[in-house]
Amino acid sequence: MTASARRRAIGRNRLYLAGLSPAVFLLALFFVGPAVWALISSLTNRALVGIDAANPRFVGLDNYARLLSDPEFGRVILNSVIFVIGSAIIGQFVLGLLLALLLDYAQRRGFVASGVVYGSALLAWVNPTIIAGFLWVAMFDFYNGSLNAGLGVVGAGPVNWLGQGPMLAIIIANTWRGTAFTMLIFLGALRTIPTDIYEAARVDGASPFRRFWDHTLPLLRPIASLTLLSVTIATFGTFILIQTLTNGGPALQTEVIALYAYHEAFQNHAVGYGSTIAVVMLALNLAFAVVFLRWSRARA
Amino acid sequence: MTAVATREALAARADEGPPMRAKAKAGPVEWILVHLVFVVISAFFLVPFLWLLSAAFDAKANAYVGIPTHPTLDNFVKIFADYDFGRVLANSLFVAIATMILVVFTVALAGYSLSRIELRRKDWITYAVLLLQTMPISATMVPIYGLARQLGLRNSYLGLILIHAAIELPFLIWLMKGFFDSIPRHLEEAAWLDGRSRFRALVEIVLPLARPGLGIAAGLAFLSAWAEVLMVVILIDQDNLKTVPLAFYQAMRTQGGYTEVQYGVIAAMAIIYLLPVMLVFFTARRLMVSGLMNSTRGL
Amino acid sequence: MDDLVRTSITRRRFLQLTAVTAVAAACNPTAVGSPSAPAGGSSPAAGSGGPAPSGAGSAPSGGGVTGTINVSYPDEAGLKPKYVEQAAAAVKAANSGADVKIDLQKVGDDDYYTKLLLALDSGTGPDVFHVGGSSIGELAEASYIEPLDEYVKNWPDWSQYPDAVKSGVTYKGSVWAIPYGLDMRWLYYRNDVLQKAGLPSDWQPANVQGILDAANAVKTAKEPNVLPYALYAGPAGSSGTADHAFVPLLWAYGGELQDSSGKWIGDSPATRKVLAYYQKAYDGLSPQEILTAVKPWTAMREKLGKGELALLFEGGWVYGGWASNDKAGTEQNVRYVLHPTETGGPSFTIGGPGTCWYISSRSANKQGAWEFIKAMNTAEIVGKLNAEDPHPVARKDAADIPEFKASKYNLDATAALEKAKFVPPDPGYSKVIEAIQKVTASVAAGELSPDDGAKRYTDDLSQALGADKVTSQS
Repeated sequence: MTASARRRAIGRNRLYLAGLSPAVFLLALFFVGPAVWALISSLTNRALVGIDAANPRFVGLDNYARLLSDPEFGRVILNSVIFVIGSAIIGQFVLGLLLALLLDYAQRRGFVASGVVYGSALLAWVNPTIIAGFLWVAMFDFYNGSLNAGLGVVGAGPVNWLGQGPMLAIIIANTWRGTAFTMLIFLGALRTIPTDIYEAARVDGASPFRRFWDHTLPLLRPIASLTLLSVTIATFGTFILIQTLTNGGPALQTEVIALYAYHEAFQNHAVGYGSTIAVVMLALNLAFAVVFLRWSRARA
Repeated sequence: MTAVATREALAARADEGPPMRAKAKAGPVEWILVHLVFVVISAFFLVPFLWLLSAAFDAKANAYVGIPTHPTLDNFVKIFADYDFGRVLANSLFVAIATMILVVFTVALAGYSLSRIELRRKDWITYAVLLLQTMPISATMVPIYGLARQLGLRNSYLGLILIHAAIELPFLIWLMKGFFDSIPRHLEEAAWLDGRSRFRALVEIVLPLARPGLGIAAGLAFLSAWAEVLMVVILIDQDNLKTVPLAFYQAMRTQGGYTEVQYGVIAAMAIIYLLPVMLVFFTARRLMVSGLMNSTRGL
Repeated sequence: MDDLVRTSITRRRFLQLTAVTAVAAACNPTAVGSPSAPAGGSSPAAGSGGPAPSGAGSAPSGGGVTGTINVSYPDEAGLKPKYVEQAAAAVKAANSGADVKIDLQKVGDDDYYTKLLLALDSGTGPDVFHVGGSSIGELAEASYIEPLDEYVKNWPDWSQYPDAVKSGVTYKGSVWAIPYGLDMRWLYYRNDVLQKAGLPSDWQPANVQGILDAANAVKTAKEPNVLPYALYAGPAGSSGTADHAFVPLLWAYGGELQDSSGKWIGDSPATRKVLAYYQKAYDGLSPQEILTAVKPWTAMREKLGKGELALLFEGGWVYGGWASNDKAGTEQNVRYVLHPTETGGPSFTIGGPGTCWYISSRSANKQGAWEFIKAMNTAEIVGKLNAEDPHPVARKDAADIPEFKASKYNLDATAALEKAKFVPPDPGYSKVIEAIQKVTASVAAGELSPDDGAKRYTDDLSQALGADKVTSQS
C-alpha cells in the first residue's frame, strides 16, 4: 500500500467512523449508560420516597451485602432457574423439537393440515408478550376461565391454576408463546438432511427410532446447543408475562429476578437496592452471553 | 459467519414450505393418529385467540371461549369513547413510525460503515454489538428510569423514540452489516470515480441493493416500537402521551372497583394492539421470520 | 385533517423543546435531576421553605389567583368526580384568571401512588394530589409536599376540624394535608348466610376465635358458591393486608406495632398468634386467589355484596358501594360489627386520616392549589361526599349536612370512631406494611410456620428499617 493509498483509506475510515457515530451514541446512551447508572446507583440508598429520596447517601457495598444475606434472593434465583428449565429447556426446546419432527414427518408424508399447526404456533409467537399474558389470565381464570370450563365439561373440579400451581401456569404460558422459535430452527435444520440418508437406513431395516437416534440427532446437535443457549437467555429476562399472570405470587412462588428488581425499586421504593439486583442480573446475563457467543464463533 | 447466520438460513428454509413429495399413500390409521395430534396441538395454540375474538365482539364477554351470546361492536366503540383511544393510537403510530425512520437511517449508516471500515480488530466490534443484543430489557428498567429522569427524557416522545430505536439497534446493525458485506465494493468505487460524493454513492448505488435488509430493519423497528411495553411503563405517566401498550397495560391492571372485569373491552384493545403486528408480520412473513429468529428478544 | 396537521406541528415543537431540555440536562445532570434535593435536609419543614411559597398570605384571598392549577386524584368508584368538578368550577368562578386542569386517574391507590412518586421524583407532577394520610411522613421527608401551616392559619374553617383530626395530619410540628373523611373499618358479615349456617340472627363474635368459628360453620354448611371468609394477605392485598387484617388482629391479640420507645416490634407472642390465625384462615376458609389476583379486594367486596362471601373485615366506605347497588338487600343482609379481641374485651376499630389533599412542594401555583383545596373541602362538599362515599366527616360542621345525617349507617360509623385506634404516624410504616405483606403471604401459602414467620418478620423489619429500630418480645 502506498502512502497516499493509506491516507485515502484513513480518510475513508474517518467518514465511516462518522457514519457509525449516531448508532454508537444511541448504544452508549441506552446500553452502556444504564449499566453504568445501575452500578453507581447500587452503591447508594436512593429511594423514591422518604428521607433517602431527598438525600441519597453513598453506602458502599451495603446493598450487595444485604443481597447476599437476603433469604428471598435465594428463592428468586431458584425460581428463575426453575422457570428457565421448565419453560425454555423442557417446554420450548423439547416441544419445539418434537413439533418440528412431527411437522417434518407430516410434510414428507404429504399431510396438508400441518400448515395449520405451523401457522398457529407462529401466531402465538408473534403477538406481543403482554397480550400472551392477558390471554392466559383469561384461560386460567378460576371462576370462568376456559381451562376450568373445559374441566367442568369432563366433570373434573375447577383448579386454582394461579394459586396452587403458579409456576406450572407461567411455564405453560411461556411455552405457548415461545415454542415456535425452536420449532422454526429445527424445521429448517431437518430440511437440510438429505432424504437419501433415510432411504439408506430404511433399506438397512432400522426402526424409526433407531433412524432418528443414529442419523437425525447427530445432525441436529450443533444447532441444538446454540438454540438452547439463546432460548435460555431470552427466557431469563421474562418479565411482563409473569407480571401479568401472577406478579410474582403467591408469596414469592413465581418471583423471578427481573420482577424482584422492579418490585424492590418501584413497589418498595428502594431504587438503590433495585439497581443492585439489576446489576447482578446483568452480570449473570453477560456470563451466559459470553459463553453463547464464544460457542457460536467456535462453530463458525 | 457466525452460527446466527446459519440460523437465519434455517429460518428461511423452515418457512419455505414443505417439500411435498407424498410417497406411499398414508394408511387410515396413520392419517387419523396424525390428525388427532394436529387437533390437540392447534387447539393449544389457537384456543386463547378464539377466546380473544369471541370476547371482543361480545357485550357480555366472559373468561371462557364460546360463540358471543350478545354479538356487538360496542367494546370497540367504548374504548374510543371512554379510553381516549384515538389519541392513544395516534401517539403509538407517531412513536412507532418515528422510531422506524430513525432506526433505518441509523442502521443503514452504521451497517454500511461497519462493513467498509478498515480496522484491525473489526470482529471485536461485531462481537461487542452482538453482546449488547443479549442484554435483557427487563434488567434495564430501573437504570433506564433513573437515566431518563436525569436526562429529562421521561414523559416525552423523544425519550420513547430514542429508547425504542436503541433497543433493536445492535441486532439490526449486525444484520445490515451482513447485507452490505455481500454488496461488492467496486460498485460504489465506480460511482466515486464518476464524481459522486460518498453519501450519494451510498444512497443511489448501495442502498437500493440492500433493500431487503432495510425492509427487515424497518419492519422489526416498527413492530418492536409498537409492541414494547416495559419502557413505556417506566417512562410515561402523563395520559396525553399514552401509547397502545400502556393503555392496554393499565386497562388490565385497573379492572374492578365495584364493576366486573370488562374482558370484552380489554379484548377489543388487544385486537387493535395486535392488528398492525399481524399485518406487518404476515405481509412480509419470510423476512420477518428470519429477522425475528435472530433477535433473542421476540416482541 | 386540519387537526392532524396541527397536532403534528405542536408535536414537532414539543420534540424541539424536549431535545433542548435533554441537552441541557446532559450537560448538567444534577440540575434537572433533583431540583430541591440540597434544600431537603434533615428538617423537611425548613427545607421546603427554599422556594418561597408563591404568595401564601400575600395574595389577596379570592379573585387574585391566576394560571393553571393541575389537580390529580385517583378514583375507581366514580363518586368524587362531580365534586371535584364542582370545586374546580367554584375556583374558576371566583378567580377569572385561573384555570383548573383535572387529571382523574381511574386506577387503584397503589398504582396511583407509584405513578405519582415517579412523577414527583422526576420533578414533574401535579400541583394538588390526593393520597392516603399514612404517607404524610415519607412524603414530607422526601420534600415532596408543602407544609400548610401558613395556609390553614388564615383559613377560618380550620377551627371546624377536631384536634384529633389535626394531629392526624401533623408531622414534625407541621400540618401537611387536608383530610375530608376519616377511615374506620368494620367486620362485615352476611346475616342471611350465617343464619343458613345455623348461627343466630344478629350474631356477634365473642372473641377473635369466634370469627373463625363462624367461617367454619359456613364452610361446613357447604352452600354452593359461598366463600366463608376473606382475610387479606400478601402484596396483592396492598395496604389492606396491614390495615384490614394484620394490624387489627395484632391489636386484638394484645400486641402493638411499636413499643414505648418507638421501636417497631417484630416477633412477639401476639405476632405469633396473628400468624397462627392466618394459618387457620388459609386452611380452607379464605380463598388462595387473594394471594395472586390483581386487587383481590374488588372481587371480595363484590362477593360480599352479592352474598357469595360470608365474612370480611373492610373499610367503612365499602358499605356505600353495596348500598348504592342494592339498598334494601344491603340493609337487610349486610351487618357490621367492631373487631373483637382475643379475650372478649371491648371491641374496637382501626382508624386513619383517610385520603387527603396535598400541595406539591414543586408546584408553581401553590396559592391556586390551596384555593382548590379550600373549594374541595367546604362543609357542603365534605358532607355530601361522605354521605355517598361513607366516611366519618373530617370537619364537624359537615355532619349537619342533611344528606349525611339522613343515614343511620353514617351516624354509626361516626360513633364507632370513638372506639378507633390509630396507626402511629411514622414514615417507616410503609416499610412495615411491606414486611407484613411478605410474612402473611408466606404463612398463608403454607411456606412458613407461624413461629418461623414471626422470626422472619423481625428479620425483614430489621433489614428494611435498620436493626436499631426493631425489637422483639418473647
